[in-house]
Amino acid sequence: MAGLTCTKLTLFTVAGVAIQVVGLSLFVFGFFPVKPTLPGHSGPESFRAPTCNSIRNESERDLPPHQLRSLYKELSGIPPAFDRLILMVVDGLPAEFVLGKDGKPPSKNLMEAMPYTQSLLANGMAIGYHARAAPPTVTMPRLKAMVSGAIGGFLDVALNFNTQAMVDDNLLGQFFKIGWKMVMLGDETWLKLFPGLFMRHDGVGSFFVKDTVQVDQNVSRHLGHELSRDDWDFLILHYLGLDHVGHIGGRNSALMAPKLTEMDEVVKMIHMTNLLNAKNDQGQTLLVVVSDHGMTESGNHGGSSYEETDSLALFIGLKNGLSDYLSSTHNIVYQVDIAPTLAVLLGVPIPKNNVGVLIPEIFGYLTDDQQLKALELNSWQLLRLLQAQIPGLSCRNHPCDGSGGDQESRITKCYGSIERMCCCLYMNAAFLHKSWMSKEVSRSSSGKDYTSTVAAYYEFLRTANEWLSHRATAKPVSLLTLGIAAMLLSCVILLGLLFHLYKEVYTREKQCLFDLESIMQTWYLDETFVLGVILILIISMGSSSLVEEEQYIWHFMASTLHLLLLRKAIHSVHSFCKEQNKRSGLQMSSICVLLSSGRILRGWHQGGVNWTNLPDISKWLEQAGSDNVKSVQLVACLLVITLSLYVLFLFGSNRNIVLVIGSSFLMSGLLVLQHIIKHQDGMFASSSYSATTLVQIIYAILGVSTFGTIISVPWLVPFSISETCLSHDVSAPSEVQYKAVLVKLRESLFVTGWAYISCWCLLQLLLQQTINSMPILLLLVQTLASMLYFSYSGLHHKQWVEVSAFYFLGMAGHFALGNSNSLATVDVAGAFIGISSHSTVLSGILMFIITYASPMLFTLSMVMYISVKDTSYFVSPSDADSRELKMMIGFPCLVPLALNSILLIAYTIMLLLMRNHLFIWSVFSPKYIYVCTTTVCVYIGVSVVAATVTYTNFVLGLRNKMLYKLSHQQ
Amino acid sequence: MKKKTKMGVRASSISVSTTEALLVHLTIGLGLALCFSVAHNVHFISLTSHPSQALGLIWAFQCPTVILLYSRYRKDQERCSYWKAVGRGLLGLPAGAVVNALGAIALGAPVGIQYLPKTINWSLMMSLFTIVPAASVFGSSWTDWQRIFACTKPNDPVDYMICLPAHGVVIGAWFGAWPVPLDWERPWQEWPVCVSYGAIAGYLVSLVASFGFILVRQHVKGD
Repeated sequence: MAGLTCTKLTLFTVAGVAIQVVGLSLFVFGFFPVKPTLPGHSGPESFRAPTCNSIRNESERDLPPHQLRSLYKELSGIPPAFDRLILMVVDGLPAEFVLGKDGKPPSKNLMEAMPYTQSLLANGMAIGYHARAAPPTVTMPRLKAMVSGAIGGFLDVALNFNTQAMVDDNLLGQFFKIGWKMVMLGDETWLKLFPGLFMRHDGVGSFFVKDTVQVDQNVSRHLGHELSRDDWDFLILHYLGLDHVGHIGGRNSALMAPKLTEMDEVVKMIHMTNLLNAKNDQGQTLLVVVSDHGMTESGNHGGSSYEETDSLALFIGLKNGLSDYLSSTHNIVYQVDIAPTLAVLLGVPIPKNNVGVLIPEIFGYLTDDQQLKALELNSWQLLRLLQAQIPGLSCRNHPCDGSGGDQESRITKCYGSIERMCCCLYMNAAFLHKSWMSKEVSRSSSGKDYTSTVAAYYEFLRTANEWLSHRATAKPVSLLTLGIAAMLLSCVILLGLLFHLYKEVYTREKQCLFDLESIMQTWYLDETFVLGVILILIISMGSSSLVEEEQYIWHFMASTLHLLLLRKAIHSVHSFCKEQNKRSGLQMSSICVLLSSGRILRGWHQGGVNWTNLPDISKWLEQAGSDNVKSVQLVACLLVITLSLYVLFLFGSNRNIVLVIGSSFLMSGLLVLQHIIKHQDGMFASSSYSATTLVQIIYAILGVSTFGTIISVPWLVPFSISETCLSHDVSAPSEVQYKAVLVKLRESLFVTGWAYISCWCLLQLLLQQTINSMPILLLLVQTLASMLYFSYSGLHHKQWVEVSAFYFLGMAGHFALGNSNSLATVDVAGAFIGISSHSTVLSGILMFIITYASPMLFTLSMVMYISVKDTSYFVSPSDADSRELKMMIGFPCLVPLALNSILLIAYTIMLLLMRNHLFIWSVFSPKYIYVCTTTVCVYIGVSVVAATVTYTNFVLGLRNKMLYKLSHQQ
Repeated sequence: MKKKTKMGVRASSISVSTTEALLVHLTIGLGLALCFSVAHNVHFISLTSHPSQALGLIWAFQCPTVILLYSRYRKDQERCSYWKAVGRGLLGLPAGAVVNALGAIALGAPVGIQYLPKTINWSLMMSLFTIVPAASVFGSSWTDWQRIFACTKPNDPVDYMICLPAHGVVIGAWFGAWPVPLDWERPWQEWPVCVSYGAIAGYLVSLVASFGFILVRQHVKGD
């Protein structure tokens, strides 16, 4: 048992953690590519070339709607083809059902199910496309893609977790700006995305997947009425029934054909009305039938298979004769192409972040120069986006200032890096466009020039589109592999260290206490269970509903572990040994306290996602009135203060130190109490000046007293001369001396550890929601009860089991405070308490403190755990000072790190496996963010613990040496 | 101290032959099956549709069988009459139910008023399979209780017949609780339906296991 020295152990641990950090950041950057989006909305400037921004007129942006509309018309030179738009979204309709696959028409019964639509397609009245959707093929991101033309980055959801509303530039926003009135019928996702934009709406929840009839009737019942009115410009119909049919019975469900017929009836009704309106000169209406995604054979969606991404885009009512339209060959576009096409058709600027390309055949009604102008608008917009994404991109020689210095440019072969490619392709197209314009007189004869210009534009547009959309969804495999490998390596290092330490401790225990060997070897149930818990946690990560309801697992595991510990305590009850029985009785009662407070904590917040509506204690209290909540809070606060003082005075051995520290606790506690009474009125934390000052004072006092305690206690603990002197006289001086130092070390660590715990609890009382103050008290009680249990357990448990039990309690408490794996439960309001000016960093820190109250509490309590754990039997005369330190902080620091690294790597791999899962955005990714933050929490907690113990040990060693010298001099 | 216990056990307990153990196990197992068929065919209820009634039926039906059977194997035969053992078993039923209910609540069983009858019936059933046999056989002998429940060290066939089923029921119920938080929206996910199914499954498995153990032991002894 040569063993690692303390320094080596520390170095290895730090190296393991560093590797983990590197691996984690590599993985995160690889898995969630951050895509810079352009803020703001496209305005009149989008009708001018990209480099001519200097002449932008700010006042143009604030024009009233109708003026803006005519300004757009004037600037673009393209007359809008339609006055009104009806967007009919059929959720989950695969384009194959309408257009067929690989040039073949759809199967006969599908053709017969949609007679009107098929006749429109056959007559050239409609034009349909396979609009390929980008994964994840889930409704909300797909709707976003359709109206903004952008493919969202993965962190989109996470970064704007408190608002679901769409803030990026999109068609609806543009329509709203030019004064369009909008009506929405159908899936309420639209209402979440665009709150306040609709003049009338009737939202339908997509929650009851079993209902295939009512959801669509709820949309269609308004249809006749809406079509007869003329007060709207944009009507959105979102039919969910077909998706539900798919979810129930798959693609070939018997309900599919009737559902398609129902959709066909709707198309027929709308088209008939449109034709009638057009005849009566009531304006041109465009009907666009789209689907957000397709479905697999079994009716699911979310992934990236052909069946799921094959969505429909059907334009009905275009004025151009589409007789030459070849329905089978040329009909594959991207879903994002819908946005720019609609923008140009309806005369609004193309949304800023659009990556889509105009669909060519749609614009047959325009003259040649108008068509080229449309392509140029699209190119300008994409070029702007490219310039935002590639900082170095600057295509000079823009044709913005008329006949500038582009005389030398001519058609060139394009190759090289992406920037050069895009630039070159764009310049080719611009050059051809210009030269075509210059030949204005002979335009009619320049059909060939025109075709080559269009081709050049499309080459640029497609290249840019491919690069941009690839960039948004691509996951660099090398980064991910490297990240996972690094995390695995660090996990192995930490586990190896832990195993090494375990072996060393175990051999030593066997040497010191061979009589206890029998007990040590027979009791493995709790250890097996802890290992089993880790396994269960890893398995449960794969199930989306268990990730949503993770609080159940933690509570279940923690209570089961406690029941097993209770069983063990009963096991050691002997009828003849009174001392032992008293100890077991104390242990049993502390377990009972742990269990009952754990159960109350579990019942405090229902938590999770699916069963939040069930009754729980917090709802019950809130219903009972804010007075009751407040009185509960006051009681909790008083009890926390009393408890912290009581423990300090009961066990703190030195009167003077205890008095000083206790009074600082009391002061901050009373200030917190005052803040609660004065400033927290019911639910809302007051933000007045005096409240902020008071909170800042509390922060300062808590900070100073904690820090002061840590620094000063090791210096102030009395080191009685007699003890040290005695040690020099005895034959085995070093052992006794070490024991004396150890006693002092434990004494000062106890005070420091308790200072950490009670200051943390007081801070939480200040920051947490009113309803959470009682759980804070219960968590404090749990900490104390576990301390009591483990201080009596001696060698009956392996230390790593005890530290794991603390970790489990911390996680169970995390969920008991109302947290969940959805980002919606983060308490944003609390993050501004005591902050006078807006600061993202400070709010972030406060948010972290509030969210990770419980894991941090239990990690910090490791300091106290080290002090109550009697490790004196490890001391053998030959030991060096540092070995002792290693034994003390080895397990409390390594076990949380190792546990966390296992969970982290397991969840990382799980996330990678689940990358095409339906709930990857809504369930798995938020959970990953929590896992990463828990890692940070463990790092912080462990380093605080290690630093405190090391510092205390160092100071005491120093004082011991000084005393030794002093006594020698005398 | 352990030696003492063993000696004491040997002195006063009656040995159980393999056939007898088989008969006991079969009676209990078949009784359980009978309960289900009676519930299904006579009362037209199932555990899923009427958990409270079905559980009540099970424990009420099984109670006489279990107590009467196990009382025959009481440890201190000289001092304790058969009917006293039966009385101990009857006393053990509510006491064990309290222990089981507390355990279930600690592990997260709901505590609302609407769950009260279900919890009571469930814990009575659990008590019947865990505590009652031990109460009948051991009475108030602390060392025996500790040996069976805290140390899991069964020594003779009677110990096996008490220890294994009791542990099997608890472990089965523990695993049975797993589907409760899942969002499958099935009626059997309600407390205490799937927990009871788990418990009964665990009980049946452990009945088989305990008989197997007795068989193996007897075989080893015979050799």
